[in-house]
Amino acid sequence: MSTAGADKKPLRYSVRGKDTRFFSAEGVDELVAISMALAQELWVVKERLAAYEGLAAKKKVFTAKEIENFKFTPAQRAKLDAESQAFIDRVFFTLRERVEGLAADPDEPAPPKEP
Amino acid sequence: MTKYVNHALKVEPTPEEAARQTFMSSMRMYVLHDLANGMRTVYESEVEPKFERKNKRAPKDGVEVHRALKKDPTFKFYSSMRCNAQEMVFRSILPTVERSQDALNKKAKALSRSKKANGTVETDPKFKVPRSVSAIDVHRMPGNYDTEYAPDDVTQGAVYDNGISVFSMGFFGKNLDDIGSSISMFIQNKYPKFAPERILDMGCTIGHNTVPWAKAYPKAEVHAIDVGAPVVRYGHARAQAAGVPVHFHQQNAEATDFEDESFDLIFSSMFLHEVPKKGIKKVFKEARRLLKPGGLMLHMELPPNKMLGAYDSFYLDWDSYYNKEPFYKPFRDMDPQAVCADAGFAKNKFVQYIIPSLGQYGEKAVKDSVKKQTGKADDQTGRFAAGIHWYCFGAWK
Repeated sequence: MSTAGADKKPLRYSVRGKDTRFFSAEGVDELVAISMALAQELWVVKERLAAYEGLAAKKKVFTAKEIENFKFTPAQRAKLDAESQAFIDRVFFTLRERVEGLAADPDEPAPPKEP
Repeated sequence: MTKYVNHALKVEPTPEEAARQTFMSSMRMYVLHDLANGMRTVYESEVEPKFERKNKRAPKDGVEVHRALKKDPTFKFYSSMRCNAQEMVFRSILPTVERSQDALNKKAKALSRSKKANGTVETDPKFKVPRSVSAIDVHRMPGNYDTEYAPDDVTQGAVYDNGISVFSMGFFGKNLDDIGSSISMFIQNKYPKFAPERILDMGCTIGHNTVPWAKAYPKAEVHAIDVGAPVVRYGHARAQAAGVPVHFHQQNAEATDFEDESFDLIFSSMFLHEVPKKGIKKVFKEARRLLKPGGLMLHMELPPNKMLGAYDSFYLDWDSYYNKEPFYKPFRDMDPQAVCADAGFAKNKFVQYIIPSLGQYGEKAVKDSVKKQTGKADDQTGRFAAGIHWYCFGAWK
């Protein structure tokens, strides 16, 4: 991907060399990368919505240009930054669950044996 | 604390680009804090006890911790997400830099020629960039410090400045200068009579940690060298914009063209771990050649493995295996005092300090740390998280 025009040498976006893999099952490394990119894009949408909401609350009516030029106040920015941490925690909850599961009661009733 | 570049060479992201960049700072915080702490909990609760049951002892070093932990899914997710986050940081700023490339090059040229400060810059079209830089995208930064896309190009300086701003989550402070600011303040208070007339920063990249030394010792003539032409050009423009005179040179710290005994203070920050072991030895010998008698060589770095426990050694060495930092572990396995001695520095002239971050702890804590040096690292030393302490070592000549 590049934003360069046809007459310009594009910047390189990829990292040189063989990439590092961590999972033995095929495709899992790619799924992690895709999940992270999706999470990032979803966050972009959430920020954009927050901008709409910020403006809607302020003016009741808005234009696309107004949205493009909208700047969060320092207080709004701080709130969004805090919310993004909570957002990441929700998306990757499964990873935290494993750690917290270590504190499970050893006497927890076991489910029926799988057939 | 700032997440974005705010000086004269700043680039303007679109709202979508800015949101991607903000997200990456948060994502890195999640990986380096939440996932990293979770991995340690899994290690201490499951992996280490299993190792001890099998071997009747605890893991003796970072390599054994690494071997024991690497099959665990927590390690795999931490590692995979950390690698991806590293690359996504740079991908989040590249479109903004690419769109601003022509304007940046013009602005940098104008700043270099301006009279805002009397710094200079020298690059050499025939300079041979060492393979340790030209053949790898260090810490997964596409283009590294040396790729040039146009004549007199500064693009990779902007990639580094903007990328590290997102990457550092604010821990490098305003203007990314916390390392230089904290350590120069410490040295001024530790050695109030030390007044260097000439200072050299080796492996300076964009000079973000050079500028604080020039501010701390305003009467000194300050030079900064790096093998990457785009970063020294950008660094010069950046220092000029700040009104701070620094002389930038495209030179290799292993063999410079400065005269013998021409500097009082030679500094580096986060440089040695990107240099092969043979090169590090040459850098120390070169520093000794360049220092005047009574001069100080001081390198800010990750703490050596010998200062840390097995888990912390594993944790810091992770970068060497997975983050395109191949020289990181070989450097951390070296004994700082022995490397200084090998280069000819007297053993009793060796110094090492652990200094609280000025941005996070404030001036009083930095000044108080002058009298509170224990020589022992804790788990905040060199670890990129809230409450960081900077490690540095070197020797007097």
